Amino acid sequence: MKELKYVGKSLVREDSYDKATGKTIYVGDMKRTDMLYAKLVLSEKAHADIEIDRSEAMLVEGIEAIYTHEDVPKVFYNSAEWYPGIKGIRDELILNNRARFVGDRIALVVGSSKETVEKAISKLKIIYKELKPVIGLKQARKDEVIIKENTNLAFSKSINVGNYEEALKKADYVIKDIGTTPKVHHAAIEPHVCLAEFDYQGNLVICTPCQVATQVQMHVANVLNIPLNKVRTVKAVMGGSFGGKSQPILEPIVAFAAWKLNRAVLLYMDRTDVITGTVSRNATEIAVETAVNKEGKILGRKVEVRVDGGAYNTNASNVTMALGKKLYRLYDIPNQTFEGKAYYTNTLPGGTCRGYGSPQGHAVTEVNIDNIAKKLNMDPCEFRLLNLVDEGAKDLTGAPEIGNAKIKECVKVGMEAFNWKEKRDTIKNKSADRYAYGVGMACGTHGNGYKGAYPDFTNVDMRIYADEGAIVKIGVHDLGCGTITTLKQIAAETLDINMEKIRITEADTFVTPYDSAGTQASRVTYVCGGAIKEAGKKLKAKLINAFCKLKNVPIENVETANGYIYDKNSTEEHTYGDIVTEYEKHFSESMSISLEYKSPANPASFAAFFAEVKVDKYTGLVDVIDCLAVHDIGRAINPMLVEGQIQGGAQFGLGMALYEQMKINKNGDVKSNSFSKYHIINSTSMPKVKIILIEDNEPYGPYGAKSVGEMATVAPAPAIINAINFALDTNITTFPATPEVIVNEILKKGI
Amino acid sequence: MIIKLMVNDKMVERDVDPTKRLLDFLREDLNLTGTKEGCSEGECGACTVIVNDKAVASCCVLVGQVNGDNILTIEGLEKNGELDIIQKAFIEKGAIQCGFCTPGMIMSCKALLMKNPKPTVDEIKRSIEGNLCRCTGYTKIIEAVQQIVEERCNNE
Ligand code: FES
Ligand code: FES
Repeated sequence: MKELKYVGKSLVREDSYDKATGKTIYVGDMKRTDMLYAKLVLSEKAHADIEIDRSEAMLVEGIEAIYTHEDVPKVFYNSAEWYPGIKGIRDELILNNRARFVGDRIALVVGSSKETVEKAISKLKIIYKELKPVIGLKQARKDEVIIKENTNLAFSKSINVGNYEEALKKADYVIKDIGTTPKVHHAAIEPHVCLAEFDYQGNLVICTPCQVATQVQMHVANVLNIPLNKVRTVKAVMGGSFGGKSQPILEPIVAFAAWKLNRAVLLYMDRTDVITGTVSRNATEIAVETAVNKEGKILGRKVEVRVDGGAYNTNASNVTMALGKKLYRLYDIPNQTFEGKAYYTNTLPGGTCRGYGSPQGHAVTEVNIDNIAKKLNMDPCEFRLLNLVDEGAKDLTGAPEIGNAKIKECVKVGMEAFNWKEKRDTIKNKSADRYAYGVGMACGTHGNGYKGAYPDFTNVDMRIYADEGAIVKIGVHDLGCGTITTLKQIAAETLDINMEKIRITEADTFVTPYDSAGTQASRVTYVCGGAIKEAGKKLKAKLINAFCKLKNVPIENVETANGYIYDKNSTEEHTYGDIVTEYEKHFSESMSISLEYKSPANPASFAAFFAEVKVDKYTGLVDVIDCLAVHDIGRAINPMLVEGQIQGGAQFGLGMALYEQMKINKNGDVKSNSFSKYHIINSTSMPKVKIILIEDNEPYGPYGAKSVGEMATVAPAPAIINAINFALDTNITTFPATPEVIVNEILKKGI
Repeated sequence: MIIKLMVNDKMVERDVDPTKRLLDFLREDLNLTGTKEGCSEGECGACTVIVNDKAVASCCVLVGQVNGDNILTIEGLEKNGELDIIQKAFIEKGAIQCGFCTPGMIMSCKALLMKNPKPTVDEIKRSIEGNLCRCTGYTKIIEAVQQIVEERCNNE
C-alpha cells in the first residue's frame, strides 16, 4: 500500500490554538447589540399542576417578557426525533402547566441582563397543586399512579433468535444475574446554552452547540409553524455534549422568544438547571440468564431489560432497542431472547448518552459472563475467547454484518500486555487485612452509524480553489472530539493537498448540504469520513482528467504531490490551482463535485478493558491502580485523538462503575443537583489508561477506520466491577458500586 | 465603588458593584470571555484565574475582594505573540478536546509551575484536582505538564 501522508498521523488540532488562548467563542460568550437574556423556570415538584402569578415579576425593571404555558404554541413533539420519518410518541411541549418531573419547564423569563432575569424569577409566585409522583421502575410498573393516559408502560418489544427454551434444556448450567444501572448526568463542562436571532436574510437563526442541526431546524419550524427553509441552525462551538446536547431542549423555546420579540435572545442554564432540566442516561434494571454447557459454550441467553424512560417518551423505544440489539453482536449465541420494556416515571427524561444503551446492556451481561466462567472454573478471558464473535460474523437478528471483528485479538493481546494470567493467579496474595486487590476485565461492542435502522447518508460538496486550497462542505458537528481534524486528514490524503489548505464546514442548515442523521450513533468518521474519501477520490480523478485534456498527457503518466500535478516525463510542474483556472477558462466548468454518499455497511467496533483495583474493605473505597484498553478500531486516522477518546471514555466508564448516579428521592427531588453532590472523576482518582489499538482495516471504513468515541465508554465499567468482585469474592451487579454498596456486600458476606 | 486592579499587566479602574463576582467582572465588564463558568460553586475550576500568584475560582470571589490585586487570566498568557509553554504543551500533547475546561486547567497548571517549576506527577494531579474535565480523562493534560518538566530537566 502506498505510504499515507496524513492518515495515521497524530496531527495537532487546528482549533486547539484558540482554545488554549481563550479566544474561542462559545455560545455563552456571544453578545449582540440589544441582546436579551433568558432563563427557564423549572418545576420544583415532580408531579403537579402549576399556576404562576407573574404580576410582581413583570414589574422588575428590564423584564421584557415572561412566558408560561398559556403564551406558547401547544404543539406536541418528541425531541428525540431527528427527521420527520420517525413517528415517535409526541408528548413534549415547550412549556408545561403540568410538571412531570423536578426540572420540567414551566416558564421562561426574558430580560435585559442575567441579573434582571434572576431577580424576576425570584419574584414569581408559583402555586403547585401536587399529584402523587411515580419514582423508580418498581412504582412505575404497579400502575397505581399513572403519569399519562392509561399505563406507565411506554414501550415494549422483544427480539428472538433461535429458541432459548430449547437451549435451556440442553444446558449443564444456567447462570442468572440481576443488576441495575443508574441515571447518569452527561456533565459536559459547558452548561446548555443557545442563542436565537434573525439574520439579514430573514432567517430565524438558532446558534447552538448541537449534534444534529437539522433536528433543531425541524423542531423549531414545527413548533412555531414556520417553513423549514426559514429556520437556520448554525452549529456553534461545542463545550462537550456526550449526547446531552443531542436532543433540542432549549432551542424551540428560545426560538419562540426571539421570534415573538424580534430580538436576539440568549438562553442560558446554570449547572443545577442542566442536571435537573435536561436529560440523563436512562437507568435500567437488567435480568440475565445464560445457558451454557460444561465445555464452556454459551447455548442461549435471555435478557430482560426495564428502562426508566423518565417523564416524556423521548428515546424510550430507541434506547431500549439499541441496548437489545448490541447483545447480539459480541458473543456467538445461537439462541437469544431479549425483552425490553420502558416505563414513564416522574423523573427527568432519558436522552442519548455516550454509548447509547451499550454501557447499560454490557454492564450486567459482562458481570454475568464472569459469573459463568467462575461457575465453570474457567479463566474469564478463556471463557470469552470460546464465545466471542469471529471476523465476518453475521448478526443473527438480521442487522448489518458485524464486519472485521477483532475482539478475540483484543482479548489475547490484552491478556499478554496486562500480564493477565499471572496477575489473576497472584494478585490476591497482595490482599491483607484492610485492602483487597483484584483484576478484572470486560468486553463491549458498539456500532458505526444507522444503516439497518434509519436512513444513513450524507451529502458533500467539495471544491478546489484557484490557489490550491480546498473547501469541503458537509453538515458535520465537531463535539469536541476533533472531528474536523480527522476529516481533514482524510480529505488531505485523498486530494493530496496540504492539510492547512483544506477547510471543512460544520453544519449550518442554510448553507451546508443535507446530512441524514447528524453527529450521533458513532457515524461521523465512518460515514461522513467515507463520504469525504469518496468525494475526494472523484474530485482528484476530475482534476487529473482535466490535466490530461489540457496538457494532452496520457493518464498513466500523471502524478501528484502536495497540490502539484505533473507529467512524470516532463519537468514542467503545475499547481492544482493552475489547472483549476485553465479548466474553467477552456471548459467552462468548476473543479468541484457534489455527491450523496450512502453508508455501505454498519460493522461493529469492539474493545476489551482490563483493570486492577484496590478495595478498602473498611471504607468501601476503590482505587483503580492500573488499566488497559484494547480497541479494535480498524484504523486510527489520528492516533492522538483516538487515545483522547479512549481515555475520556474510560473516565466516563469509571464514573459509572464507582461514583456517578443521579440521586432522586421518593418525592422526585434531585439530591445530586450540583457538582458538589454529583461526583465526576477528577485528576487524582483517574488512573492512567494504557492503550493498544488493533488496526486491521475495516473494509468499508475510510482508510479502514471505524468508530471509537462511544465504544470507549462501554467496557470499563463492567471490567472494574468484575475486578472488585474478584477481589472480594462478591457478586456486585449494582452500578455504581459506591462505598455503601461495597460495604453492604462485605457485611453480607462477613468478609 | 471604584475598583483598581491589574489585569494581565494592565491597570484597570472601574466603578462597579463590589459584590459582583470576579468572574462576571472579567467576562462582562472587561469582555475577557476566555474564563468560563461551569458550576458557579467552586467545584469545576472552569473559572480559574490567578490572583497574586495563586489559582482561584473566580466564581467564588467578589471583585471587591481583589481590589488592588494582580490578576492573570488565560488571555494574558501569550506574550508578544508567543504562547506560554503550557499552552504549547497542551496543544502538542492533544490535551484539549472541547476546550471548555482548558482555560481554567491551564491557569491551574500555570500557578503550579510558577511556584514549583518541576512538579512530580502527584503534584500535577493535585494542582488540577479542582478542575473537572469530562473529555480527556486527564491523561494528556498531565502528560503535557510532565513534558515541560522533562524538558526543563533535560536542559539543565
Ligand atoms: S464555575 Fe467556578 S468553579 Fe465552576
Ligand atoms: S476538554 Fe472538554 S472538558 Fe476538558
